Amino acid sequence: MSLHDLLIAPFSYEFMRRGLLSAALLSVSGGLLGCVLVLRRMALMGDALSHSLLPGIAAAWLLFGTSTVALFFGGLIAGLLTALGSALLSRLTRIKEDAAFGSLFIVFFGAGVALTSKLPTRLNLADFLFGNVLGVSAADLWLAAAVSGGTAAVFAVFYRSILLETFDPVFHRATGGRGGLVHMGFLTLTVLNLVAAMQTMGIVLALGLFLLPAVGAYLWCDRFVSMLLLSIGLALLGSVVGILLSFHAGLASGASIVLCLGLVFLVSALFSPRYGTVRFLWRGGAR
Amino acid sequence: MDPSDQNIVLLRAATVRYGRLTALRDITLSIPCGSSTAILGRNGAGKSTLLRAVLGWQPLTSGEIRIGDAHPQHARPRMAYVPQRQAIDWDFPITVRGVVEQGRYPSLGLFRRMARTDDEQVERALDELGISDLAPRQIRMLSGGQQQRAFLARAIAQGGDIFLLDEPFAGLDLFAVEELAHILGNWEAQGRTVLAAVHDPAIARRCFTRGVLLDTGLVAEGPIADVLSPANIGRAYRREHCVHDGRAQPAAAGDAEA
Repeated sequence: MSLHDLLIAPFSYEFMRRGLLSAALLSVSGGLLGCVLVLRRMALMGDALSHSLLPGIAAAWLLFGTSTVALFFGGLIAGLLTALGSALLSRLTRIKEDAAFGSLFIVFFGAGVALTSKLPTRLNLADFLFGNVLGVSAADLWLAAAVSGGTAAVFAVFYRSILLETFDPVFHRATGGRGGLVHMGFLTLTVLNLVAAMQTMGIVLALGLFLLPAVGAYLWCDRFVSMLLLSIGLALLGSVVGILLSFHAGLASGASIVLCLGLVFLVSALFSPRYGTVRFLWRGGAR
Repeated sequence: MDPSDQNIVLLRAATVRYGRLTALRDITLSIPCGSSTAILGRNGAGKSTLLRAVLGWQPLTSGEIRIGDAHPQHARPRMAYVPQRQAIDWDFPITVRGVVEQGRYPSLGLFRRMARTDDEQVERALDELGISDLAPRQIRMLSGGQQQRAFLARAIAQGGDIFLLDEPFAGLDLFAVEELAHILGNWEAQGRTVLAAVHDPAIARRCFTRGVLLDTGLVAEGPIADVLSPANIGRAYRREHCVHDGRAQPAAAGDAEA
């Protein structure tokens, strides 16, 4: 197999070009969001949030069919209900936020699975959960472009607020920052990106595109801005290689992107010169 | 003219309630410019609430606070805040310079970039605290005292003349406590107004000239030696070992260790 067959030829197919473009767009926004998720210790909350989108998407499908816009808003509403609901529960009862999130998302996910079993068409639940790059429509691409551009713009404008709120929320608040607003804005962006990534990555695997490059970058960088940029770079790398792998090996696209990013993560965790496992053990467990 | 004339913090019948809980009751006091004042009291006596109210972050239920002749929210550029460091993630990808630069963020707003004058302010702050050499280091690569100095430098870089510190001595080793006491002494000598929540009366007696002793209400204020008279301490700390507030116990143990 020539290099051309390996790297270029796959993209003579329309669906491959669309899949690649969609994954690349979401790599930019996902790479950014992932850094904040990791640094704010919200990685598992992101996972819960992604599962909670399912009933919204299924309900939108039942009511409006396959319209991308309807699916988008269905997922968005379900995600925001989960985020807001658990925030309220944790303030108005003795339940802590992680338990509130854990309880709500599993109920939402259950409702989603129940709803999908009632869907009339030959809809495949697996496509929702794990993605199908074959199905990326022009509308999906526009959606990915809008969400990715919007996320990048928010990070550019509010960079300093995001950094302060992530690093030292008390100082941010004390200097007049709107911590609650930044937090809710951030949850909204996460839901938007999860929904936009649904077609290529699936809602369950989409988080991999956000988290894995960020954790990888976290192990290499000592500055916030370099972590953001490296995270985007790793996400792009993993997406391109993952899409090619899925084509040549006949794997599901979301899964193969996550596997490639997983390899990047594993290499970082083992061999990062300052924060890797090998170095840690080499120096007898001292940092 | 000397702008420090306005550097006076005034509280008139300031009261803060969270729901049915009164955190601060009817506090009237004034803090002279250029003084270093320790806010003392047991856990839950309202030390942090008082700091937050002065910052304009915690709205008052009733009463009034003025910074000079301005409302706290309008006086924010004059105030610099050093939060407790317990919640800081020392593995965060940020250097010492990155932390100190944050002091400039509030005055930059959303769209202005760091100008040369901002960079100079950062350099001066690093220099004043003697951590210019450490500027490129990631923050875990510092001792406890150096970490504290990085956060003090951030406050200096904010460019205010009133400094509010929340438990600055918590979690510091003996050497770092001496170092911080020395720095705060210098600040006072330079005419900076320092207002710090302090848990330990012994440290307060050594490092501050004035004191404010709280027990949700005001127990005493004035020169530190008078404020920390045995009678006042007895009144302010009498409920220290009471079990009415279960959360007070572990926190008290942690502070004692610090």
